[in-house]
Amino acid sequence: MTALLNIKGLTIDIARDDGPARVVDGITLSLEQGESLGIVGESGCGKSLTMLSLVGLLPNRINATGGSALFNGRDLLAMTQRELRAVRGSEIGFIFQDPMTSLNPVMRIGDQIAEALIYQKSITRPAALARAEELLEMVGIPSPRERMTAFPHELSGGMRQRVMIAMGLAGGPKLLIADEPTTALDVTIQAQIVDLVRDLKSKSDMSVVWITHDLALIAGLADRIAVLYAGTVVEDAPVQALFDHPTHPYTRGLLASLPTLSDAPMSRLASIAGTPPEPGRRPPGCPFAPRCAMAEPACAAVVPQLATVPGSDPRHRVACPVTTRSAS
Amino acid sequence: MEERPTNLWRDAWKRLRRNKLAVTGLWIVLALVLVAAIGPWITPYDFLSQNLDARNLPPSLLHPFGTDDLGRDVISRVIYGARTAFLVAVCVTVIALTIGVVLGAVAGFYGGMFDRVMMWFTDMTMSVPQLLLVVVINASLKQPIATWMEGMYLASLNPIWRNSALIDFVLVFGSMALISWPPYARLVRAQVLSIRNRPYVTAARALGLTNRIILLRYVLPNAMGPLIVAVSAGLGTAMVLESAFSFLGVGVNPPTPSWGNMISDGLRVWTNHPHLLVAPAAILAVVTVAFNFLGDGLNDALNPKGQK
Repeated sequence: MTALLNIKGLTIDIARDDGPARVVDGITLSLEQGESLGIVGESGCGKSLTMLSLVGLLPNRINATGGSALFNGRDLLAMTQRELRAVRGSEIGFIFQDPMTSLNPVMRIGDQIAEALIYQKSITRPAALARAEELLEMVGIPSPRERMTAFPHELSGGMRQRVMIAMGLAGGPKLLIADEPTTALDVTIQAQIVDLVRDLKSKSDMSVVWITHDLALIAGLADRIAVLYAGTVVEDAPVQALFDHPTHPYTRGLLASLPTLSDAPMSRLASIAGTPPEPGRRPPGCPFAPRCAMAEPACAAVVPQLATVPGSDPRHRVACPVTTRSAS
Repeated sequence: MEERPTNLWRDAWKRLRRNKLAVTGLWIVLALVLVAAIGPWITPYDFLSQNLDARNLPPSLLHPFGTDDLGRDVISRVIYGARTAFLVAVCVTVIALTIGVVLGAVAGFYGGMFDRVMMWFTDMTMSVPQLLLVVVINASLKQPIATWMEGMYLASLNPIWRNSALIDFVLVFGSMALISWPPYARLVRAQVLSIRNRPYVTAARALGLTNRIILLRYVLPNAMGPLIVAVSAGLGTAMVLESAFSFLGVGVNPPTPSWGNMISDGLRVWTNHPHLLVAPAAILAVVTVAFNFLGDGLNDALNPKGQK
């Protein structure tokens, strides 16, 4: 396996009137061809921005200010908008969070899928429409021929998300980035969508990045999980190692806050005290230190680096000197 | 039972049909379009032919709206006035809309320096009193254009260059479009600004579509609702403007019938021959109100929020 995507030291700043505020602070991540990576973290930890920055879709006034992101050996961050446009869709596909608002309300869904194909692949309209119908069938939409002429509001949320997935896959991308694609859906539909993506992935050697704040959801989907906190990777591990040896206090907190059936009835759900730091107001040392029960004086002074965890998978790396030390 | 699929336009049409005033307005507007279209075949008399034995006749069966001081049939002139009014309103609106949509969409979508310059330009145009601008344009350009057209006639002997109505229309359309485009530009810009950051536009970008395609297929179609309302109101406004300018003598000039110059003529003799004032003024009022009802109805129909 070769690295398909290699993000090194990525920083993203919001340009504010009183100076830049850092939202993503040196993220380093890599992804193998055919691997599926789950990115987990609270709202605002920079997980979506990191992925959007790869294809040059950051919102206004938010910019990638440092680092590199090699995709197939080419630095995405150094590309012009024109070069990025060629990457979008055909090499990196996106699925967005809210299927209700991510489809053009005045365009038939068949046309929307076909449109992408016509411009990405320069194929004729009839060929694109035929391919769009295949894609709808592939993502499990019943009677795809009839649905081709439907408008988005005629479909349910789950169906719309399937359409979004069909659009994301239309260009035959090497990397599919799913940005919380199930957050807006019912729990039963969530499971269907996860199954669908796993299915589609197993049929190709496409890599998948699945952004979520739901650890349980991606446990069955991802090969590896990266836990983000306040714009940095705090733990990066194969999924089994992460669930067996959660090491970073933040990861442990996340796992502890998952409700399980064996919890005593009426017991309180565990939660992590405090809130993540606001962009631009990050504490000097470890960003999690103010909320961390295990914090030592040194934590507030030194920014922790990712290090392997003794006794776990060699690919398991954690940015917490306290817990990696105590584990040995 | 499968429910019949609906879409924005069908829903809007349903809501519009329930609004009696809007439907009335729509019928009046459609009747006007019809009358203007088939005018030459239904007018009882030629609008230009004078009958000096039948001057200033009050309304009668022969002349439903009476005759004017040159013995011309007033209803025929009102019907031809509808052609003028409609021609001017449609042409002016189309020109103003084209300028407004292109400038507004590009400014809103691409932003930056072009946006700022465009908005200065819009504000500047809007800050000049409309009437003054039209009067100035007419006063300063009419003579040079007439001279130029006479020169073209002498060079080509093509009678089209001697058609004084042509100058009127070009100047009227041009100057009215010049003062009518800024509201469209502002409206489109505001719409585009709000739509360009919607998730489906980001999704379209993520598919690798070009800016041009995104603007034409994703942004503009979703900006249509308010624009249609504005166009409906704008057509009515353009008719009133045309009448106002013709009334003041800077619009369509006699003998081309226009409601505005008919009102102007009628006003001079209204104590003796009130029908000459009432006929064009009443029809202008009815049509303006009809356009406003229709515009209001469209506004409610296309913006269902806040409806019961």
